Amino acid sequence: MDLSISLGITERVKEISGQNPFLCMQCGTCSASCTGIGKMDLLPRQILRKIQLGDPGVLQCSSIWVCTACLTCTVRCPRGIDIARLMEALRAINLRKGNEALVLEKVPSELIREVPQMALTSGFRKLSA
Amino acid sequence: MVAGLDITLAELPQWTCCGVAFPLAQDNYIGLVAAARILANAAKTGDGRLVTVCSFCYNVLKRVNYAIKNNPEAKEKLNNYLEESYQGETSVVHPLEVIRDEVGLKNLESKAGGRLKGLKVACYYGCMLVRPATEVALGDPENPVLMEELMAALGADPVDFPWKTKCCGSYQLLNASDLVADRVREIIDAAVARGAQAIVTSCPLCQFNLDWGQEKLVSQNGWPKIPVLYFAQLLGAALELPAEKLGFGQHYVDPRKILLREFS
Repeated sequence: MDLSISLGITERVKEISGQNPFLCMQCGTCSASCTGIGKMDLLPRQILRKIQLGDPGVLQCSSIWVCTACLTCTVRCPRGIDIARLMEALRAINLRKGNEALVLEKVPSELIREVPQMALTSGFRKLSA
Repeated sequence: MVAGLDITLAELPQWTCCGVAFPLAQDNYIGLVAAARILANAAKTGDGRLVTVCSFCYNVLKRVNYAIKNNPEAKEKLNNYLEESYQGETSVVHPLEVIRDEVGLKNLESKAGGRLKGLKVACYYGCMLVRPATEVALGDPENPVLMEELMAALGADPVDFPWKTKCCGSYQLLNASDLVADRVREIIDAAVARGAQAIVTSCPLCQFNLDWGQEKLVSQNGWPKIPVLYFAQLLGAALELPAEKLGFGQHYVDPRKILLREFS
């Protein structure tokens, strides 16, 4: 693991999210509340820590792609950090470089026909470049 | 349904997609344009209120409205882009709010005549109508009760259960459907454990995930499935709208057996 500490990723995330990751006291409430934890490689709390430490490897986690932007983390954070915006910032950095998780061709066609339009629009906005 | 409640709605001319997911990045306002345009148009028609029945639309429109009212840079840039002078005057409302505030629950109770006959319903809100409370809040973000009040007014018996604001998995249906399967299983199990005969939702995507999800993602032998209804369906049924207009035949987990028993 590359331990070179860099503030580059931290500043970029702060700029896009408008949030101060250094408010995080690592209480873990976000992780405990998160909808997607069963499928995440890094828990929200761990992602916050990596952002604090400036670990650019945080951009490669699978967690941001299984986040549902349900905002439970945001409303429960005792430090008032809008954690959903931090997750979005990590997605935005990836998506703006063309790294995406959802590709139309991979979605089963019978699902595309059945699913409400809002799932497609929101899914592609959050997960496709 | 609205006609049955003596409410007149006017269709917003030139309505477009609101964008569905409120963009959380703060360094770019382009994602707010679609919703801002809708809000600006709504300010010029009707009585200044914009009703939407979709929970995602409600969330996006309210959050963009909040941004325009509280973020001077957002307001300036969006108005410049759209060549508008919108100040945030449109009020975004959900039909549940219209029912509570305009029609009145007591009034509804007398119209509905207890027609849902004690049907045990677990009211499931999901995310977008209740979070974040500062900007959206159809009720308390951890314990909203508006649907329970509506159901009680219609004669049903609302059943409290712990996962009423737990996320159903939303758009991850397309990317990580296992996640949706897990959430569906949890939510349904919790409702059934509290004695619910049906779940009533206020979000079309939650309704789909919980309904389709039970049938296609979770089906296991002996696992108890319960019908998942949209609040407007039960409201329509209680107001004695024709059954064919209420879509009860279009579900994956068929609600008609339970409903026939309750209504016949």
